Amino acid sequence: MKPKLPGGLNLQRLLPFASLIVLFAGLSIATPNFLTETNLSSVIRQTAVINIMALGMTMIIIAGGIDLSVGSILAFGGLMGTMALEKGQPIVVGVAVGIVAGMFWGFINGLLTTRLKINPFIVTLGTLGIVRGITLIVSNGLPVHNIPQSFSYLGEGILGGVPFVLWILLVCAGAVHVLLEHTKLGRYAFAIGSNPDAAYYAGIPVAFHTISVYAIGGALTGLAGMIEASRLMTGQPTAGQGYELQAIAAVVIGGGSLRGGEGTVVGTLIGAFIMGLLSNGSDLLGISPYLQQAIIGAVIILAVTVDELRKRRT
Amino acid sequence: MLLRLKGIEKRFGGLTALRNGNLTVNAGEVHLLMGENGAGKSTLMKIVAGLLQPDGGTFEWKGQPVAFSRPADAAALGIAMVHQESLLAPHLSVAENIFLGREQSFWVKRREVVARAAKLIEEHRFPLNAEWRVDRLSPAGKQLVEICRAISQGSSLLIFDEPTSSLSDAETAEVFKIVRTLKARGMGVIYITHRLDELRSVGDQVTVLRDGATVHTSPMAELTTDQLIRHMVGRELSALYARTPVAPGEVVLSIDQLCVPPLLKKISLNVRAGEIVGLAGLVGAGRTELCRAIFGVDRCASGRILINGKEQRLRSPQDAAAAGIALIPEDRQRTGLATARPIGENTNLASLDKVSRYGLVDQAAADRVTTDFIARLRIRAESPQQRAGRLSGGNQQKVVIAKWLARGARVFLFDEPTRGIDVGAKAEVFEVMDELARQGAAILMVSSELPELLQIADRILVMRAGVLTGELARGATQEQVMRLAAFHDARPEAAQAGSAA
Ligand SMILES: Nc1ncnc2c1ncn2[C@@H]1O[C@H](COP(=O)(O)OP(=O)(O)OP(=O)(O)O)[C@@H](O)[C@H]1O
Ligand SMILES: [Mg+2]
Repeated sequence: MKPKLPGGLNLQRLLPFASLIVLFAGLSIATPNFLTETNLSSVIRQTAVINIMALGMTMIIIAGGIDLSVGSILAFGGLMGTMALEKGQPIVVGVAVGIVAGMFWGFINGLLTTRLKINPFIVTLGTLGIVRGITLIVSNGLPVHNIPQSFSYLGEGILGGVPFVLWILLVCAGAVHVLLEHTKLGRYAFAIGSNPDAAYYAGIPVAFHTISVYAIGGALTGLAGMIEASRLMTGQPTAGQGYELQAIAAVVIGGGSLRGGEGTVVGTLIGAFIMGLLSNGSDLLGISPYLQQAIIGAVIILAVTVDELRKRRT
Repeated sequence: MLLRLKGIEKRFGGLTALRNGNLTVNAGEVHLLMGENGAGKSTLMKIVAGLLQPDGGTFEWKGQPVAFSRPADAAALGIAMVHQESLLAPHLSVAENIFLGREQSFWVKRREVVARAAKLIEEHRFPLNAEWRVDRLSPAGKQLVEICRAISQGSSLLIFDEPTSSLSDAETAEVFKIVRTLKARGMGVIYITHRLDELRSVGDQVTVLRDGATVHTSPMAELTTDQLIRHMVGRELSALYARTPVAPGEVVLSIDQLCVPPLLKKISLNVRAGEIVGLAGLVGAGRTELCRAIFGVDRCASGRILINGKEQRLRSPQDAAAAGIALIPEDRQRTGLATARPIGENTNLASLDKVSRYGLVDQAAADRVTTDFIARLRIRAESPQQRAGRLSGGNQQKVVIAKWLARGARVFLFDEPTRGIDVGAKAEVFEVMDELARQGAAILMVSSELPELLQIADRILVMRAGVLTGELARGATQEQVMRLAAFHDARPEAAQAGSAA
């Protein structure tokens, strides 16, 4: 068997993709409510937030890191952005504020892991609490309501017949894919996650690139925070709780390895959509939300098992 | 003159790795750096390559004093190093690893990188493919990637830290050819090795380190091998290893028509009590795979393994260990050692039962085992509590050997046991093997160093491409072995096969 380059589209990606198709076809047959424009649009909207966060998480995981604080960063970004809107700033500025706010915390996460040389799991477990705490303090625990009506377009609008967020998602995914596969930053992310010593000895500025990856992850999370705020039409300081696990799960189902050095954008998108379809399908089929959680958990383990088996075989 | 080091000192906490390192290297010269395990060779070279900073002494590069704070500083001046322990990114391709850290622009053009790497590989006829992923390569393949990496940097000084310890003879010859080409181009080369047989074919100048200090430097031609060994170990020691003759007893290990996909086909052999059987062959011939199959790591498709005439079902290393088989693996970093744990824990890891009672470890007894082996195998360590990963390469190998010796067994499989260990320690390891044989153990030993295999083994089995191609009695010559081992179609798969399982 000819070993393949990392990242290239090849057989290994086919299985998650096939599962997605099967799931899609199965749901279309099982329930007439599935294959409707309204439902599909709502699936896209629901998964867009997790999807965009997961794109950043893909880069971080490839570089051998992890970010548990993305749920809190999402709330922080959303809150900062909506507060800017409340003060009368234009929507573009508000969204930019949300992105920069997210990027700031990503930067801090990267800085702490590289400077203090603490395991990113611990660092981001810490910032998960810190960022959530600061968000609650700044907002006094109260959501931001005074937002211009047109802001809802970001999360709920339609462009060219499909939800506007789909375009955002596609642009982000394309950008992250190019970044990972065709730029120095991306190749270094793989190298660092694959063997940090080798990267250092190769003369790669490891700290700089690690921080960059976390910062980009934070920026994408900030954007996701603004989309979430637009869908809720409020800046919720409690938004995004538990999202970190969904984002990580999407990456892992898509073939990312928590040991670093492996992961793809396409895989992550598929992973996020599989989870989105599972929960949407269970809703439509009237499966209890309690059971849904168990199903998704089982799917994560199944996906990773299959992936490991494939790796051992080749 | 390229490089001049004078009175270099380096301390790691309480341990002095270098006291007085002196070394002068000229352009167009191959300089051998010799010394026992832990003498400070790698440390000195890491200082030259900017991976470590010296605590004292002077460091001149082309007549100018220099100080490096990062590997990139050394690289910028034209110093490159092939490391003793593989330093590659396993998930990236061969091409990407070769040029890692030297991408010219923000955008990475994969096709261009692959083409450049392919050209380099083609030029030297390495059995590599620029697009292979590095984690699929055997140790030898990885070594070649490191060499490509170093030569591609266009450096004026190249450091090889034991580049051939995991290479076959054919590949070693190729490395020598490269070294000679580099030398002809006017580059300086520093070459560290423990393989005495390869020195003369390549070295011009030799410097010997002992206990962190330079004790000798001279042209290679002025030195006999015995003198060299005396400088290294500081005492008389013969390069010849003697066996105590023992009459072989009953057949202990018997293998019958063993097939292990994808490589091994119909292997049959016997090893008697008190016998040391050598297993020769090129890298990729399947010697390691055979050891792994006997030890229960790889599944056998067909065939039988018998211990003392009883058929065994070996589905895991536990089964094999219970049947009285021990494997000393070749890849010490991956399968041999808990690098973050103390030496003492490593030596007792496989034999905790022996030093515990009612499930509780008798620490005093465990410590006795450790100190005993530190003395017997001359492990150069600060204390038994030192982390195993902090030892020099050769001393790590000795800890792995100690772990399995401590356990005891009826059948020992030694896979490249002397890789990277110094002459003195080799003699110790062979003494231990001799002693085991006298006590009635059956020993199967894989080694790529033919001279020592010919000296120590009672008979030699030769493998080629997964099959046994012949058996030679004691007294065989290197040529006879090579004829059975060599394969003429130099397939690129050779460098890849080692890690296929
Ligand atoms: N990072 C480290 N921390 C502590 N001690 C170290 C470290 N690196 C090396 N040493 C110690 O320094 C001494 C010299 O080690 P070095 O690796 O230079 O030996 P070497 O001559 O290359 O031996 P070998 O032939 O076994 O590779 C050893 O005693 C080793 O234990
Ligand atoms: Mg060394």
